[in-house]
Amino acid sequence: MNADRIIAVRNNKTVYRDGERVLKVFDETYSKADVLNEALNQARVEETGLNIPRILEVTVIDGNWTIVSQYIKGKTLARLMEENPDRKDEYLNLFVDLQLEMHSKVCPGLNKLKDKLSHKINETDLPATVRYDLQTRLEAMPKHNKVCHGDFNPSNIVITEDGTPYILDWAHATQGNASADAARTYLLFWLNGDIDGANKYLELFCAKSNTEKEYVQKWMPIVAASQLAKGNAKEREFLCSWINVVDYE
Amino acid sequence: MENKERKIVDSVDALKKVIARVREAQRKFSTYSQEQVDEIFKAAATAANQARIPLAKMAVEETGMGVVEDKVIKNHYAAEYVYNTYKNVRTCGVLEEDKAYGIKKIAEPVGVIAAVIPTTNPTSTAIFKTLIALKTRNAVIISPHPRAKKCTIAAAKIVLDAAVAAGAPEGIIDWIDVPNIELTNLLMKEADIILATGGPGMVKAAYSSGKPAIGVGPGNTPAVIDESADVVLAVNSIIHSKTFDNGMICASEQSVIVHKNVYDAVKAEFAARGCYFLKEDEIEKVRKTIFVNGALNAQIVGQPAYKIAELAGVKVPVGTKILIGEVDSTDPSEEFAHEKLSPVLAMYKAEDIHDAFEKAERLVANGGYGHTAAIYLDVTTEQAKIDEFASRLKTCRILVNTPSSQGAIGDIYNFKLAPSLTLGCGSWGGNSVSENVGVKHLLNIKTVVERRENMLWFRAPEKIYIKKGCLPVALNELKYVMGKKRAFIVTDSFLYHNGYTKPITDRLDELGIEHTTFFDVLPDPTLSCAKAGAEQMRAFQPDTIIAFGGGSAMDAAKIMWVMYEHPEVDFMDMAMRFMDIRKRVYTFPKMGEKAYFVAIPTSAGTGSEVTPFAVITDEKSGVKYPLADYELLPDMAIIDVDFHMSAPKGLTAAAGIDALTHALEAYVSLMATDFTDGLAKQALQMIFKYLPRAYDNGQTDVEAREKMANAATIAGMAFANAFLGVCHSMAHKLGAFYHLPHGIANALMIEEVIRFNASEAPAKMGTFPQYGYPHALRRYAEIAEALNLGGENDHEKLENLIKAINDLKARVGIKSSIKEYGINEKEFLERLDEMVEQAFDDQCTGTNPRYPLMSEIRQMYLNAYYGKKHFVDEEKPNEADIAGTEDENKVKKAYLRARVGAKRA
Ligand SMILES: NC(=O)c1ccc[n+]([C@@H]2O[C@H](COP(=O)([O-])OP(=O)(O)OC[C@H]3O[C@@H](n4cnc5c(N)ncnc54)[C@H](O)[C@@H]3O)[C@@H](O)[C@H]2O)c1
Ligand SMILES: Nc1ncnc2c1ncn2[C@@H]1O[C@H](COP(=O)(O)OP(=O)(O)O)[C@@H](O)[C@H]1O
Ligand SMILES: [Fe+2]
Ligand SMILES: [Mg+2]
Repeated sequence: MNADRIIAVRNNKTVYRDGERVLKVFDETYSKADVLNEALNQARVEETGLNIPRILEVTVIDGNWTIVSQYIKGKTLARLMEENPDRKDEYLNLFVDLQLEMHSKVCPGLNKLKDKLSHKINETDLPATVRYDLQTRLEAMPKHNKVCHGDFNPSNIVITEDGTPYILDWAHATQGNASADAARTYLLFWLNGDIDGANKYLELFCAKSNTEKEYVQKWMPIVAASQLAKGNAKEREFLCSWINVVDYE
Repeated sequence: MENKERKIVDSVDALKKVIARVREAQRKFSTYSQEQVDEIFKAAATAANQARIPLAKMAVEETGMGVVEDKVIKNHYAAEYVYNTYKNVRTCGVLEEDKAYGIKKIAEPVGVIAAVIPTTNPTSTAIFKTLIALKTRNAVIISPHPRAKKCTIAAAKIVLDAAVAAGAPEGIIDWIDVPNIELTNLLMKEADIILATGGPGMVKAAYSSGKPAIGVGPGNTPAVIDESADVVLAVNSIIHSKTFDNGMICASEQSVIVHKNVYDAVKAEFAARGCYFLKEDEIEKVRKTIFVNGALNAQIVGQPAYKIAELAGVKVPVGTKILIGEVDSTDPSEEFAHEKLSPVLAMYKAEDIHDAFEKAERLVANGGYGHTAAIYLDVTTEQAKIDEFASRLKTCRILVNTPSSQGAIGDIYNFKLAPSLTLGCGSWGGNSVSENVGVKHLLNIKTVVERRENMLWFRAPEKIYIKKGCLPVALNELKYVMGKKRAFIVTDSFLYHNGYTKPITDRLDELGIEHTTFFDVLPDPTLSCAKAGAEQMRAFQPDTIIAFGGGSAMDAAKIMWVMYEHPEVDFMDMAMRFMDIRKRVYTFPKMGEKAYFVAIPTSAGTGSEVTPFAVITDEKSGVKYPLADYELLPDMAIIDVDFHMSAPKGLTAAAGIDALTHALEAYVSLMATDFTDGLAKQALQMIFKYLPRAYDNGQTDVEAREKMANAATIAGMAFANAFLGVCHSMAHKLGAFYHLPHGIANALMIEEVIRFNASEAPAKMGTFPQYGYPHALRRYAEIAEALNLGGENDHEKLENLIKAINDLKARVGIKSSIKEYGINEKEFLERLDEMVEQAFDDQCTGTNPRYPLMSEIRQMYLNAYYGKKHFVDEEKPNEADIAGTEDENKVKKAYLRARVGAKRA
């Protein structure tokens, strides 16, 4: 490996740049199946024609599973927002457009969003009654087949110098209901402490996709529960306040 | 008991076993008698009733929601009111029977009911659903909510034990012990019907399970208080309802909309009765507490007002009944504008009643479609407001001056509203039921209907005067019996100018009856001619109409009569075709109020003097319409041969064959009866015998003329009741297209029609209950027999009949093809399709024994045009096809037996 530099370090993975390539190196705690799933998702989404880094190889380096993909030269949208706070609205606009373009694609090979959410709900340590309510709610939601990113946030968008946006990080990609994907993005803004950004995002998404806000909101308890499954103790109280609601009777 | 060995249902396998077992129990139960069922119903209701307090305590303890004392009422209600309402209702076996009409309704159970029970009414709904299931011989498997499973199961068990002790099959009620979504879905998929009460998620899941579902959904009840309302009654009713079980009844008021003129009074009354009005900042706090991301916070459901206030950081006295937020917006983004399942109420000020209705409509749109709406007003003066409210709101229950929680469930504040804890929300709420759900929704009703024959009738003018020279005698009656003063004569110019009307007018003069004559009727009368006559009638104001002439004059006079008495009627309405004269869309106007109708035929053919028909041509479209209604029946017919003597040969022949066709068609008609059969045969015998003589020596042979005059009227009475057939349908259009005399047109088509009708395996037979199978061949043979035409079998008899008719036609100078009447071939072919469709649609087609396809009508027209070949059916399989097979003999015998039986019948 001839890694020039480390681009990002996470709990259980590190991202390196190696010339025109990027190596996403997972440590041994990471499930092999998840790595391969991420690689497969990325390969499948490539076929939709969306602008994403092309996957080059999946390999094991020093005992660590690694996804090698094309390096996209540019800045993440998160960084751009930070650097140019006055242009945030413009970036948000672009961000929503990009998400909607992605939702316009179908990719039959991806996992089903509903299945994924249902598993996540069962993985949580929530009381059985709450899980039952969440499952009932999920059951009643319309099932679609749009490409959903599952972690669509500004840090996963890179804008190249000529302004072309690329979407990265397909670990959580599924096919399903776009409003669930939007609810998830909304939650990610909140978790990131950007409540104003969250609200602006939701307004924009609803306006551009001609969706009722209430419809996106119906997904909030479900996406909150799936986030809870990650077991982040700091988020727990906040997520529970979103989860602990009732469907009217 | 079986329950001791009952295994816990906590897995797909266990549930599948239970479903199989319950299904078996239900199969047994479905054979129970009404008496057995009623005993079980009573025992179960009694047991549930007795357990009302422990069950209420369990429910509050387990769910942490609601008020024990109110849950006691709900349990009590579910047991007692439901029992009382249905105790005497028949739910097993024959529900009703009408032997005369041959109809019977039989109640059958639906089978296994999947009952989804909500957390808000976990015991009372369980009692309700199990009781109505038992009453209808259904089994129930309950899917409780995990939050309330213990108390729901306890309630079910109490009902089950009592039912089994009273004789119900073991295990007729069962449940899921450890509910999860997979089991609930499986249950809904396997059940025969789903009774789903719960949130919209559950209801949607029920509907998408693929099984019939009676699901009911959420409400968002607005209560409007009009300025005319009794404010004290209104406010206290709302408090009573809203605090019931801490606001957890789905019909509970969620907002009050108050007319501005009583707003302050309403507010003061709420305050005086222990309700708390939230201040501006407190409203915001409560908003954010009760709703999270637009969803209702689970922590506040069914909690007392002070607890909710506490959660929101608002201090209110512990005894506070309701938290009221005064808000303006009814937009979905306003939290207060939604269902709150707690003693939290929104209050709106309305500019006027219309503003109030608009707000109520918008609130219902926020998740309360199909459920309930309430209004308070003065019912003695404000019925119009109730009507408007009822028509505008898309809710299935509209409650007036009634607390909605206790009012919507029925039988408490109104005794005709069915008691129920499952309230249908109609299509607006995505439901299959819009009423309060009850036993009728859990039954399959079989309807057993026996074949019945239609009632038929025999109708004729009240007076038919006959015999040579009877006219003056009959006319006397107009004066001396009826006291008539003004007669309007309708005739054609030939008869008028040749003095044929003189005997009538002279007689009228002698009697001192004023009269006038309209003599512009042309053959095949038109609508405009009828209009002109009616115009003159209106000017003259007759009390008697005398139609004098051939069919043309009589038919024209009938239409003038209608237009005179009912100038408002639309001709096209009268001409609208019907399948059954009793079921026709158009109601013919009542005739005879202004004028008495006398018909005096001068040709022996149409029978119009005794028929309810009038054939008229719309000169604009050229279409010939046979109108029919018994209102068109003349009041008096005078058959006096003196007026027939002068008829020329052509008329005698054409009219005579017309009468012949009437008798033939009436005899084979679907509506033929013993009454018309005799008339038709008699007419035919007379026509065959006397038409040649009347034709040859019409001017002198009084006997032949009289016989023909009578025969035409007798045939008229036959088809006035049995109606005609496709020969007349085709003749009407042929006559209209090419101006052929009506009798000639019939003569040209009749052979085709006889051959067409005589088919034993027609493409389609006519539809009429008494017409059991195609048998026109036999009917024609009967005519041949009556005419003594000979023949070994029915086919020979048919051929003899056809030959006799053809001979008669030739004898009276009628040509044998349409072509010979000089109708251009090219034109005929060009207009054929149009003529075919019109003939198919003619009023006479419906009673033909064989239902004609348009292609068949076309073929008959073509055959009649060239006169070379005749109608034959398309080839079909027949008896010959089974010849040579092993069971040929068996089949043939059976076939013969069937034929003989059919003939006897
Ligand atoms: N209402 C019904 O039940 C019924 C049934 C069959 C036919 N129709 C209709 O009746 C009409 C045909 O009637 P129709 O065949 O009696 O012919 P018609 O009434 O048209 O008369 C034909 C001609 O014969 C003349 N005429 C009549 N009686 C005469 C007499 N005694 N001496 C000399 N001339 C005489 C008439 O002046 C006329 O010019 C058609 O419009 C047909 O559709 C009605
Ligand atoms: N192909 C790539 N080209 C450019 N930058 C990349 C690429 N892949 C990842 N990165 C950078 O690394 C960061 C983390 O990578 P990502 O795949 O999003 O991992 P994670 O799952 O940890 O979010 C991204 O936010 C981006 O800045
Ligand atoms: Fe006729
Ligand atoms: Mg990322």
